[in-house]
Amino acid sequence: MAVSKCSRLSGPLIQELLDSVDNFLFDCDGVIWRGDQAIPGASEVTNLLKKNGKRVFFVTNNSTKTREMYAEKMAKLGFQAKTEEVFGTAYCSAVYLKNIAKLDGKVYLIGGNALSKELQKVGIQTVGSGPDPVSGGQSDWADVPLDPEVKAVVVGFDEHFSYMKLSKALKYLDNPDCLFVGTNTDTRLPLEGGRVVPGTGCLVRAVETAAQRKAQIIGKPSHFMFDCVVSEYGIDPARTVMVGDRLDTDILLGSSCGLKTVLTLTGVSHLIEATAHQESHCPERTGMVPDYYVETIADLLPALQG
Amino acid sequence: MAGALRSRGCIKIRGPQLRDLLDSKCNILFDCDGVIWEGEKAIPGAIDVVSLLKNQGKNVFFVTNNCTRPRDSYVQKFTRLGFTDVQKRDIFSSAYCSAVYLRDFANLKGKVYVIGGDGVYKELREAGVSFVESEPETPGMTISDCPLHTDVKAVLVAYDEDFNFLKLAKACCYLRDSECLFIASDPDPWHPVRGGRVTPGSGSLTAALETATNRKAIVIGKPSRFMFECITSQCGADAAQSLMVGDRLETDILFGTNCGLSTVLTLTGVSKIEEAQANLESDCPEKQNAVPDYVVDSIGDFLLALKA
Repeated sequence: MAVSKCSRLSGPLIQELLDSVDNFLFDCDGVIWRGDQAIPGASEVTNLLKKNGKRVFFVTNNSTKTREMYAEKMAKLGFQAKTEEVFGTAYCSAVYLKNIAKLDGKVYLIGGNALSKELQKVGIQTVGSGPDPVSGGQSDWADVPLDPEVKAVVVGFDEHFSYMKLSKALKYLDNPDCLFVGTNTDTRLPLEGGRVVPGTGCLVRAVETAAQRKAQIIGKPSHFMFDCVVSEYGIDPARTVMVGDRLDTDILLGSSCGLKTVLTLTGVSHLIEATAHQESHCPERTGMVPDYYVETIADLLPALQG
Repeated sequence: MAGALRSRGCIKIRGPQLRDLLDSKCNILFDCDGVIWEGEKAIPGAIDVVSLLKNQGKNVFFVTNNCTRPRDSYVQKFTRLGFTDVQKRDIFSSAYCSAVYLRDFANLKGKVYVIGGDGVYKELREAGVSFVESEPETPGMTISDCPLHTDVKAVLVAYDEDFNFLKLAKACCYLRDSECLFIASDPDPWHPVRGGRVTPGSGSLTAALETATNRKAIVIGKPSRFMFECITSQCGADAAQSLMVGDRLETDILFGTNCGLSTVLTLTGVSKIEEAQANLESDCPEKQNAVPDYVVDSIGDFLLALKA
């Protein structure tokens, strides 16, 4: 365990870390790739880690791909990863509803294709996802009857989000026995060119506000995704490191699960935010201080190649 | 006022006591939905109460968070339901007050990007506030390729049945400029609609945008004080001489408390007496401020008091 926090991971410190852990969890967006481009050196790092006998998993809040789609993207970008080594929120939401909530019924889904597919794979049918065309005003579609088999509302990333979908979700959630799940609370995703894409967190907040209910959140920093990895692979938290680019999701998850944590600066969070959390000495913020940081995960290459 | 420990409240009032209360106030402020009408029907007694109060020389104002109509349309509704002598100047709706805020208080030097319906657009147009015209969306257009206006200096969020991801994304982009104002017509998370159902309110759309931008909206509607400031600046109303009558604790009654008005909860709308009593017993300051001074079963109780 690092004696001081927020240390630059370089030189002999890298080998020390490598010797002390067996398992690596990598976030994806901003860590191993940005959009459709791999971070230079990232695939060499993860492939070499595996070659050196480490177990490598990918843990992402992004709900827009199934495990298979992630594996396909990884293969295309040169990462050697098996489908079963990727944990996205679409897959983990399906695991949660099937195994933990033991859902017996359909899902009203505000979300995309990937969520729909992962749910169907575990035998859960969905209604409502996709464009769901609207005609007329509220008074026209307000009277459309609810599907009595819907027993849960799931909110994930949905570029077809609309007032009508929000209104339908609210109607289902009026029944306190209807489950309410949100894939993650990320507030926004950076786009190239200075534009911003609102994240799933905004859609979850809209539904929570209208329904005056809190969603069960699957994604980081909630423990559930780590629990999924543990239940499928039995890893030891003390011999595991979480590598991520967001202090409030990746690093917080790592800290609260007892993992070592590395912040990479190729994504959302800046080093100055990490040091600000550290200097605050505020109990709620210490979980967002990483043990180590790197400029990019490619900083690990020299130690792995040597 | 705000934060003061309540030693009393929720007093059931009728007859001579209610008449004395009304006699002591020059300005009576009514919420609309659930207070004077329910959908397209006036609450029994409401028409006569409004008429009698006006005849007694009271200033009667209607203060509503409902931003779906312009004031002209409210005047038509009042007439249609049988109310007499309700003028446009008596009506303070969140759409109208949002336009007033942008025109008179915000020093707006550019256009407003609007998430809202016809009611909002009409009030902005009438107030002479520049806005981005509502554009039909090209199918398949995304936030990466949609055109953004360079002269947007404010974003206004209101109830919008056409709300969608692209509107949310556009508003988010405009609000990246910290000098771009962020206004919300009202904070209502949901509204009751016909048949005992509920529909998402402006508050839920505002919550989405606040989450995306990590910014807090300036809220125009109740419980924010702004609508009372509008009334005062246009009609010179004095808080001590004013009474707020509403059906929703967290908007109408909290608004009344925030502005230093006496408050009456009517039980023909959203909030129940048990909720008012729970607020009275609560340790939370915000809940304590959402305790009405008085409670009536319906606006009809005013009629009995006024006629006695």
